[in-house]
Amino acid sequence: MSEYLLEMKNISKSFSGVQALDHVNFAVRPGKVMCLAGENGCGKSTLVKIISGVYTRDEGEVIFEGKKITKITPAEATRLGIQVIYQDLSIFPNLTVRENLAINSEITANRRFVNQKRMDATAKEALSKIGHKIDLEAKMGDLSVADKQLIAICRALLFNAKLIIMDEPTTALTKKEVEALFKTVRKLRDKGIAIMFISHKTEEIFEIADDIAIMRNGKNVYLGTTADITPKEFTYYMTGRELTDKHFVPKNISKDPILEVKNLTLESNYKDISFDLRKGEILGITGLLGSGRTELALSLFGLLKPDKGDILLNGKKVKITSPIMAQKLHIGYVPEDRLTEGLCLHQPIADNITLSSLKRLSNKLGLIKQKDILEDANIWVDKFSIATDDACKHASTLSGGNQQKIVLSKWLSNDLDILILNGPTVGVDVGAKQDIHDLVHELANQGLAVIIISDDLAEVVANCNRVIVMKDGMIVGQMESDEITNQAILDIIR
Amino acid sequence: MEAKQKLRRFTRRTEFYIFLVLVVMGIVIQSMSGGQLFEVNSIVDIARAMTIMGMFALMNLMVVISGGFDLSFPTLASLAYSAATTICLTQGWAQESAWIAFLLSGAIGLVLGMVNGFIISRFKLNTMIVTLGTQTLFLGISMGLLQLSEITSTLPLGIRYFGEASLFEVYSSTGMRSTMPVAFVFFIVLAVIVWFVLKYTMFGRALYAIGGNEISAERAGFNVKKTKFWLYAIVGLVAGLIGMLRVAMVRQAIPKGLNGWDLEVIPAVILGGASIYGGEGSVFGTIVAVTLITVISNSLLLIGIDSYWQDFFNGLVILAGVTISAVQAKRRSI
Amino acid sequence: MKKKINIKDNYALLLVSLLVIVLAVFTILKPDTLWKVSTWKSMASQFPEYGVMTLGVMLCFIAGCIDVSFVSLGNFASIIASLFMLQAAEGTIPEGQTGLIVILAILIAMVVGGISGYLNGNLISRLGIPPILATLSTQLVFRGLAIALTQGYAVTGIPPIYSEVGHMDIFGFLPVPLLVFIIVLLFVAFLLKYTTFGKKLYMIGSNPKAARFSGINVTKMINTTFVINGMIAAIGALLMVSTMNSAKADYGSSYLMRCILILVLAGVLPDGGMGKIFNVLIAIVTIQIIATSVNMFPELNSYYGSLISAIMLIVMLMITSRLLSTDRKVRRKKKNLPKEAG
Repeated sequence: MSEYLLEMKNISKSFSGVQALDHVNFAVRPGKVMCLAGENGCGKSTLVKIISGVYTRDEGEVIFEGKKITKITPAEATRLGIQVIYQDLSIFPNLTVRENLAINSEITANRRFVNQKRMDATAKEALSKIGHKIDLEAKMGDLSVADKQLIAICRALLFNAKLIIMDEPTTALTKKEVEALFKTVRKLRDKGIAIMFISHKTEEIFEIADDIAIMRNGKNVYLGTTADITPKEFTYYMTGRELTDKHFVPKNISKDPILEVKNLTLESNYKDISFDLRKGEILGITGLLGSGRTELALSLFGLLKPDKGDILLNGKKVKITSPIMAQKLHIGYVPEDRLTEGLCLHQPIADNITLSSLKRLSNKLGLIKQKDILEDANIWVDKFSIATDDACKHASTLSGGNQQKIVLSKWLSNDLDILILNGPTVGVDVGAKQDIHDLVHELANQGLAVIIISDDLAEVVANCNRVIVMKDGMIVGQMESDEITNQAILDIIR
Repeated sequence: MEAKQKLRRFTRRTEFYIFLVLVVMGIVIQSMSGGQLFEVNSIVDIARAMTIMGMFALMNLMVVISGGFDLSFPTLASLAYSAATTICLTQGWAQESAWIAFLLSGAIGLVLGMVNGFIISRFKLNTMIVTLGTQTLFLGISMGLLQLSEITSTLPLGIRYFGEASLFEVYSSTGMRSTMPVAFVFFIVLAVIVWFVLKYTMFGRALYAIGGNEISAERAGFNVKKTKFWLYAIVGLVAGLIGMLRVAMVRQAIPKGLNGWDLEVIPAVILGGASIYGGEGSVFGTIVAVTLITVISNSLLLIGIDSYWQDFFNGLVILAGVTISAVQAKRRSI
Repeated sequence: MKKKINIKDNYALLLVSLLVIVLAVFTILKPDTLWKVSTWKSMASQFPEYGVMTLGVMLCFIAGCIDVSFVSLGNFASIIASLFMLQAAEGTIPEGQTGLIVILAILIAMVVGGISGYLNGNLISRLGIPPILATLSTQLVFRGLAIALTQGYAVTGIPPIYSEVGHMDIFGFLPVPLLVFIIVLLFVAFLLKYTTFGKKLYMIGSNPKAARFSGINVTKMINTTFVINGMIAAIGALLMVSTMNSAKADYGSSYLMRCILILVLAGVLPDGGMGKIFNVLIAIVTIQIIATSVNMFPELNSYYGSLISAIMLIVMLMITSRLLSTDRKVRRKKKNLPKEAG
């Protein structure tokens, strides 16, 4: 009846009063690559979980291969031919490739005993679907993320998948590996299998997707082919705002550099890194995965000791041996992963905010009053409009954007000269993103020296007055003010 | 990515490494004791000494692989064998053959194991803490509720005969006699069974899978709840049997007889290459580790050290083992 | 999300209710024996031994480190102190000097406890050995040393003044052990609530990585925590020495599980980042009341106490199992995600 493999009409879903999906319409064509895009919190994963049977929809219709499906369970979804590859890839790092490939089939067939030959056959069959070659005996945990992903795809294909859904598959892949993945995706598409991608990376989407669906705030704001939309329109639909080529223009740059990095080298991570940083500047360091940008940041913060090279602060050589030392040197670091590196989720917001300033808030004997902690924390809650009514609540009660603000507050309550931000708006909703960017501008204008490390080119372009591009551990390009454009950076990276 | 391949080699090395240590220690002790270690009767003594601990270690290996801990097995086994022996005594059973005693002990152990299994499979709790609770529970039942008493001289004859049965006798050069207990065969049989289950049955693979990534295991279709339940139930069953085996070997049934064994067996399992996070471990490694610990404990006298130093040296060996594996793990992650 | 916090705040209420129920039950069953002054006095002299140790281990649990070595550690320290007292008190010594020797011995015990704790701390913080494994091995080492020093026998012949003071009642009603417990209690409570040490402790237990990234000296904190724990364990062992008028390697072997049970009951899980002194106090009192009350029934023996406590614990665990989604769970989930190395 329809040209669609999967059709979803008027899907709504809410959780404890929060509307996650609001009358969403969605469709996937057979043998095409569909990309589901949207900022964090827009409802993408909820939609996927409804397709895969993990959640049940509150209202709406689901039609698969022309037939109405009333109730979807995970088992039912598999039977229909829907396979989901989650971000964690659902693999067993401690088992062999062979077992990872064959285990689902063994379970489905209700096997009690392990038969190596049979598993070998299953594994080889799975790999042949893509024509991938790999050592069956290898331990899964030893493989690269790209290999793991390919194996996850092979495994999914064993179940006569008609629709394969991949959740942010390119997050941990290098440029080359992304290309290999796309090659595989195209192969599958040519075989008639529909692939659905969840992503937020504009260039990749335009490269691989045939169709695009964009969600925002639980609603579907665009559903159509890639050909019918431009990247600019895409960004507009994603964020609800116009993407301006507006830059950050520094108001007051100090004469002398506060930070000088000379020939910094850490084997297998980065090599011969040299740059200056002045107060009032926002320096962007960008590059693809594997470029060494995070490792560089960690070295500046004392978590990774460089092999060679010098770091100078205010003209004096320093050896940053630990975060404690970095803090003493007035360097702050907002880490990449706020959940595991930035916050103690099950502790009060106030405690999180004041964690790095305990010395300041306590007296000589190390005594501290909860009252003082609350007072100090509330200053930041007000200043950054952190959405909470009680700073004694746990940090886990906040949204991603607000959590990020806590991490920022933690460092800003110190007297900093340099602030390094690694992926400051990852997983942060649009509103908070803007807040954080505005904040950073203000801080720079007040005299802070800022480094933003990010692979979000839009973020880098809009917020930095200087950009360093890294590739394979080395600096491959530097730009200033007007030179900084999306295209210019992409040209260098490629 | 090459680091990851080195990792593979490293892990395999844990088992080989500890085997190497065993060999080296053996040679060292042999020379220090003037050749006594490798005498036939000394080897038989070591075999006898490691039987019970080895069997418990094998069962705990399965639990650790699944990502859990069972601290309750000493009091579980004690309760099982004490109750079983008491029943046999009062009913006048097991006067000729011991099989009824084993049956009873195993059955009680199974029920107790099911208690563990029920709590652990149904509630998302830290297994260490749960089994800590059940450990105390079982102790409370045996010593409090049932007030089981020590059975020494009144031990049913069937059990006694079983304990005295030996496979063969050997004599040392000085005329000391050592007998190889029948129980050792049980140890070997259990080792083979556990090895087979871990390697060739889906149940065994499920343990590895759950220990490796429990969420993936659920997604892959494993019935995690059922697997965990039966794991702890079977561990209880076998623990009951092992306990009765020990009663036979030491010819007494003391309700507190195994207290503290959990704190010695679990480090041995880790020493043998199992990871405390689950997903790793092998029968070979576990047996080597238990052998190593037994050899060192037993050999102290041979090299002229008072047996009072036994615990200390055991502690050092385990400390060395966990230190090395921790340092290795650190190197791997960097 | 909201529900979680409510139960957590009300956990103290839950525990107090439990205590009230326990008191009610035993009041109904044995009103006369339970509510005698002598009963409460004897309870007050009994629980400090393990109560003190519980407080020390509490600090380790909050930091996210389980410790199973504290009893062996304490015995080791008290044995060294007792041996010292024996040696030093050999021959005739005037009254005043004995007192000095005893005080010196107490200090020695605390130093030994501190150093042993420092060993524990470093194994965990510098070598990266998981706390369960580190303390399982040191537990054997300490016990081994204690046995080697004493050949398994009890160390007797301690100057009588030691035990006498231990059995005294200050101001006529306060047993010395209880006084010691109160001092340690106030110390730990103060530490946790009013010092930066306490704040940092909770954060480290909650997420050591984030703490490190925030400029906290995690290594130093863990070492310090274990040193304090070691010293407190030594104090607990010294109390045991006073009660038994001797020191032995295997004293208090039941305390290992009991202290951990009390902590878990009180909601102080070794996962770290949680624990309130008030709850621990209530748990200690509850457990002691059960133990003492059980003794009032001649047909029941002391193991009934453990039985009841164990059942209570398991039931509490099952009830509160919804609560257990600490940072550890998030980290475990994140561990399985592909790592984004930029």
